[in-house]
Amino acid sequence: MLFHDWLKDDSKIILFDGAMGTEIFKRGIEPGKIPDILNIEKPDIISEIHKSYYDIGSDMCQTCTFGSSPLNLKKYKLEDRIKEINGKALENIKKVCPPNCLIVGDIGPSGEFRSPVGNTTSEQWQSSFASQVKILEQGVDLWHLETISDIEEMQAAIRAVKKNSEKPIIASMTYKKTPRGYFTIMGDSLEKCIQILEQEKVDVIGANCTIGSNDMIGLIEESIKLTNKPLSAKPNAGQPKIDENGRPFYEYPPKDFARDIHDMINLGAKIVGGCCGTSPQTIKEIRKIIDSL
Amino acid sequence: MSQENLYGEISDAIVNLNEEKARELANKAIGKNLNILNVIEEGFGAGIRRVGELWDAGEFFLPELMRGAKIMQDCLDLLIPHLQGGIERKTLGKVVIATIEGDIHSIGKTIVATMLRAYGFEVYDLGADVPAEKIIDEAIEKNVDIIGVSALLTTTMLGQKKVIEILKKKGISNKFKVILGGAPVTSKWVEECGADGYAGNAVEAVELAKSLLHR
Repeated sequence: MLFHDWLKDDSKIILFDGAMGTEIFKRGIEPGKIPDILNIEKPDIISEIHKSYYDIGSDMCQTCTFGSSPLNLKKYKLEDRIKEINGKALENIKKVCPPNCLIVGDIGPSGEFRSPVGNTTSEQWQSSFASQVKILEQGVDLWHLETISDIEEMQAAIRAVKKNSEKPIIASMTYKKTPRGYFTIMGDSLEKCIQILEQEKVDVIGANCTIGSNDMIGLIEESIKLTNKPLSAKPNAGQPKIDENGRPFYEYPPKDFARDIHDMINLGAKIVGGCCGTSPQTIKEIRKIIDSL
Repeated sequence: MSQENLYGEISDAIVNLNEEKARELANKAIGKNLNILNVIEEGFGAGIRRVGELWDAGEFFLPELMRGAKIMQDCLDLLIPHLQGGIERKTLGKVVIATIEGDIHSIGKTIVATMLRAYGFEVYDLGADVPAEKIIDEAIEKNVDIIGVSALLTTTMLGQKKVIEILKKKGISNKFKVILGGAPVTSKWVEECGADGYAGNAVEAVELAKSLLHR
């Protein structure tokens, strides 16, 4: 399988995609709408965004299904449409995925917390993720479980995938930088997360969102000391700001972002891409760097 | 045991997230007929402030913050009926809080509501995805002092501004203090909206609410 070949090839740096949400908002989606519903309402926009990333040099892009698990869809009263949303998401990416590129099944957090913050159990998480996995399994090449801040929720997601799929898994937690190092908001340290992700036998250990690319360099530096697994990094383009028209923007320039990514590659990151605030322009800058290596 | 030692023990019980001990000490204070106001301020209040400091230092995380605040709230429920000289401290002020319309992210808002309650505010939590008009209607009906509006999405932040615009249009913006929160919210945004304050986290939100009401 292509992905495993890439992982084995020491000279290959795998280029992931950039933000989906940020690109959708640029096209004027109304506030509060879950981007995933656009797979049905505006499929051309979703395909166009995927295509822009593939065209500019991404080796793989992820489906627009970040929030398409039943627990999360329920908040938008869309849980009945889970098959349709995930199914259409596959169609939208398949028709623009070039040969020799891959489709990644994207699974984000459920948005529900365990006690004492919320009252969701591991079984509920697992069953919710499993419903989504079963649909996406028909069309994806590998999985990205991402932006999860509770290692127990991540474990539930990994188990949901493993029960229903044999495809490779990238497991990306989201960390904040504290005076004591990198932790998730639920208090899981980077060390603890990496240890558990190794036990769960994921193929790639990753981190995404919350922190900008400059802080992600330190996280990769720490991670490399803790594991021999391939590492993936999808940081944010700094923090969002609001312009005079009330529109959000990210001011961290793509060239600076790509320079930070270069540092991460030098440290040993295997898969690189961007999260919130990144764009095809960002991916273009990273592509240039990878091609010059 | 001296009162100071008891305050210290109470504070430790909160920091250690020891619910049983905290309740036991609250009942002890009631049994000894201590000044309940002082017990709340110097025992429980000191404890929850330390919890906040530990959060800032990266020692405590969401589960500890939520547990600490819940234990404090339970103990306040025990103590408040025993306040000497009436229930004037029953509330530091009234707050209506909500995540703005179009935004379903409720966790940050819930933490702030929990912390405000733990400190002694009377909080009306309207939940998530609440229209600006509804927040204002509730604020008027409950005669609150503070309106708290949360937004996690950069696209829904505009709704925070809408709350202030409606208040101005109705000519009642001087009746309420409006505070904003949420990951993308900055003090610059608060200034632009004409809100009264910004809090980066739940502990700051409590301090902000207290200072706005001169408590």
